[in-house]
Amino acid sequence: MTKAGFVKQILLLGVVLVTSVPMTRPAIALPSNKQLTIATAQEFDTLNPNISNSSARAYLDGLLTHTLTAINADWQWACWLCKELPTFENGLVKIIEQDGKKKLQVDWQIKAKASWGDGKPVTGYDMKLAWEIGRSPNVLAGEKDQYEQIESFHIDAKNPKKFRTIYKEPRYSYYQLGTFYLTPHHLEGPIWEKTKASQGAYEKQTHYNTNPTNPGLYCGPYVAKGVKAGSHIILERNPHYYGNTAKIEKIIVKIIPNTQTLEANLLSGTVDMINENGLQFDQGLAFEKRLAQDPKLKKRYKVLYRQGTIYEHIDLNMNNPILKDIRVRRALVHAIDRDKLVQALFQGMQKKALHNIHPLDPYYTDDVRQYRFDPKRAAKLLDQAGWKMGEDGIRQKDGKKLSLNLMTTAGNKTRELVQVFLQNEWKRVAVDITIKNEPARVLFGVTLPQRKFPAMVLFAWIASPDVPPISTTHSKEIPTVDNGYSGQNYTGFANVRNDTALDKVLREFDFQKRKQLMKIVQQEYAKEVPVIPLYNRSEVVVVPTNLRGFRISGHQFYSTQSADQWYLE
Amino acid sequence: MTAYIIRRLLQTVIVLFALSFITYGLMGLMPGDPLDIACAANPRCTPENLDLMKKQLGLDRPIYERYGKWIFAFVQGDLGYSRTYRQPVTTILLPRLLNTMILGATVILVSLLIAIPIGVLTSLKANSKFDYIVNFFAFSGISAPSFWLGLMLIIVFSVFFKWLPAGGVETIGVEATQGTWAYLLDRAKYLVLPTATLASLTIAGWIRYTRASMLETMRLDFIRTARAKGLAWHHVVTRHGLRNALLPVVTVVALEFPRIASGAVITETVFSYQGVGKLMFDSIIGNDFNVAMCSFIITACMVLVMNLVADICYAYLDPRISFK
Repeated sequence: MTKAGFVKQILLLGVVLVTSVPMTRPAIALPSNKQLTIATAQEFDTLNPNISNSSARAYLDGLLTHTLTAINADWQWACWLCKELPTFENGLVKIIEQDGKKKLQVDWQIKAKASWGDGKPVTGYDMKLAWEIGRSPNVLAGEKDQYEQIESFHIDAKNPKKFRTIYKEPRYSYYQLGTFYLTPHHLEGPIWEKTKASQGAYEKQTHYNTNPTNPGLYCGPYVAKGVKAGSHIILERNPHYYGNTAKIEKIIVKIIPNTQTLEANLLSGTVDMINENGLQFDQGLAFEKRLAQDPKLKKRYKVLYRQGTIYEHIDLNMNNPILKDIRVRRALVHAIDRDKLVQALFQGMQKKALHNIHPLDPYYTDDVRQYRFDPKRAAKLLDQAGWKMGEDGIRQKDGKKLSLNLMTTAGNKTRELVQVFLQNEWKRVAVDITIKNEPARVLFGVTLPQRKFPAMVLFAWIASPDVPPISTTHSKEIPTVDNGYSGQNYTGFANVRNDTALDKVLREFDFQKRKQLMKIVQQEYAKEVPVIPLYNRSEVVVVPTNLRGFRISGHQFYSTQSADQWYLE
Repeated sequence: MTAYIIRRLLQTVIVLFALSFITYGLMGLMPGDPLDIACAANPRCTPENLDLMKKQLGLDRPIYERYGKWIFAFVQGDLGYSRTYRQPVTTILLPRLLNTMILGATVILVSLLIAIPIGVLTSLKANSKFDYIVNFFAFSGISAPSFWLGLMLIIVFSVFFKWLPAGGVETIGVEATQGTWAYLLDRAKYLVLPTATLASLTIAGWIRYTRASMLETMRLDFIRTARAKGLAWHHVVTRHGLRNALLPVVTVVALEFPRIASGAVITETVFSYQGVGKLMFDSIIGNDFNVAMCSFIITACMVLVMNLVADICYAYLDPRISFK
């Protein structure tokens, strides 16, 4: 065979292969109520919710383990396992005085039908055990404040479903027990008694690690039937669930760490849907475009979005000599077109942020100073601040250029794109931006906590509804050498009105008054511009078109919160 | 031979000890900690809580003290507890190690079965059409990035044809419901694509090594003598040519196994294959000292043991090599 003939044969083979592919592509049926396989990109750690620290495990909360209270799909704190949310109005909350100190007394009652997967009732003893474990210095639990705010625990001897908690100080947030998970006393109690004196011993011996398929460990609509670390978890209906029996018989959560192959797994039928911890936002947009072009795929999948609690912003270092001037800070905000930013990069599916309180948060107000896109106004403010146009097209003052450093996490493609967009915007008002990015562990481990960033850092906060931003904006939270770099007020923002409002807000039980205080917080934040708000990230989920009863929550309690209402048509 | 092996094993222990100290120290020198990252993104995380967590993990202690504690527990068989997975290291590591061993052994076996005969054939038919075609595919195999090749294989064989699973180690639940053979067949199905991805690189490299080594050997005087003595051609090739040509190939093959064990991170990630490579990478990034150090010790052991195996193979292939 000649060389030309050989090449022709290879090409022909290629054409045959390519053209035969669509013809031989087998179809995939929509999932039924028999089984739903959910893909996630993040691995969960332990299934013990009180010692777990992963969002992948938190995704399983709605399926396996309910808490006393939770934020519902309408972003309101409500009862989950409790019968009635205690308030002053219903007489279940009282301010008492003990040892000359004001304290808060809260009476709780767990739902009568609430049981563990082995049929044992959920009682105050389970809550008390969780409290003992969570506050122990020998247990590595996140957000210890949840447990430590409660000073004592009293269980009703006649009805163990009823119990009383005494909080160290009267704070309105007593009902925010979203990561305070009940622990089955009948199973974990003996282990705790054996291990509580030794550091790290409980984590090693807890049933959640040694026997995670014991149904008695779970009180949600499902129990774990099979667990393979790093691979998957198989869930089956909990026959003792206190709510309506789940309609989907079996749910499998499969871990696929590479977001690039998540889509391939979906299209090959290995998984039926991708959860909130799966696709990146840009991947979601790309998949939606693909659906629009392929009617067959569109019949099988839909992409859902909801504004989430992740707030992308730029922290400004208030100690920077240039940024100390409020006119410069305001000019920087006026100079950027954030509507264009979210439209250009996210097709408008992620919304511009006004400040650090989320639009769905009960305290949100737009009655604050707003900075519309106005390059002329930005230029005027810079002129007023003494920054005049230099010969090289960059503003100057006293022989110094108006040059600022913008940092972010290296390798984060979206943030790097945002950086370039902003750099170009600020260039138009003759502000020079230099970019120096660092790996996440350096940026969050050293640069931010020690306030070593020279001017600006682009990163995100994970907000929680109904939580005042004390750690990020109160002046006592500014990290310094003297306080061992504690606190998260990295900008160095110090504002008396803001501090006073935040000091009062935790002790204010009247919602309307609290809302007024939070309005001051938002107004001062917007007025002083310690931070340039950019946008609130949206969560993206791909679901089969026949899935009903599904709703993305957008907050720390995932869509699984309503898993008992899901069904496949 | 026995004395040689004992001497080498003793050397291995000393090397492991030194390497573990250096690795532990280097990990400790990395700036920041994943706890800082978790706390920096969560306004509900208090400084006191962060300090307590660091204290509980021993991060407030000097690095030499932490290393001493770790090595003392390690030699007593206590591999410790994973701070990332909140589970004992053995629970996390052993199933993944087994998966990696299976994948590594399959890749080596498939690569040897394909690369050695083709390498020999291309050397015997050097500069022929067959040689050119093999060279073309060998260079393609070397040049194709594993993440790209893996994705392509998934798209063709999983998404379009749906012949093979897109990722994982086994069909969920198959172990419990089916017999042993069905289970083995199921595992084999999941091995095809990762093996093809990894083997494409090793096959290509080994073909080139075998070809070059055979070409050099077949030009030597003893081959000419063997042929002059009237030995059958296949005896000349297999007993005289190949046996001598395999010496440099043995080193490459021996070192491939630990490379696959520790370096198949990308392939494991693309195929969601729960192996030790990705675990090691994640544990280093997550400052999970216990998991990272155990994975590291295992990989270092593999390198040292496979080197020893290669040395023993030399003696088998070339009796002139002495261990004294």
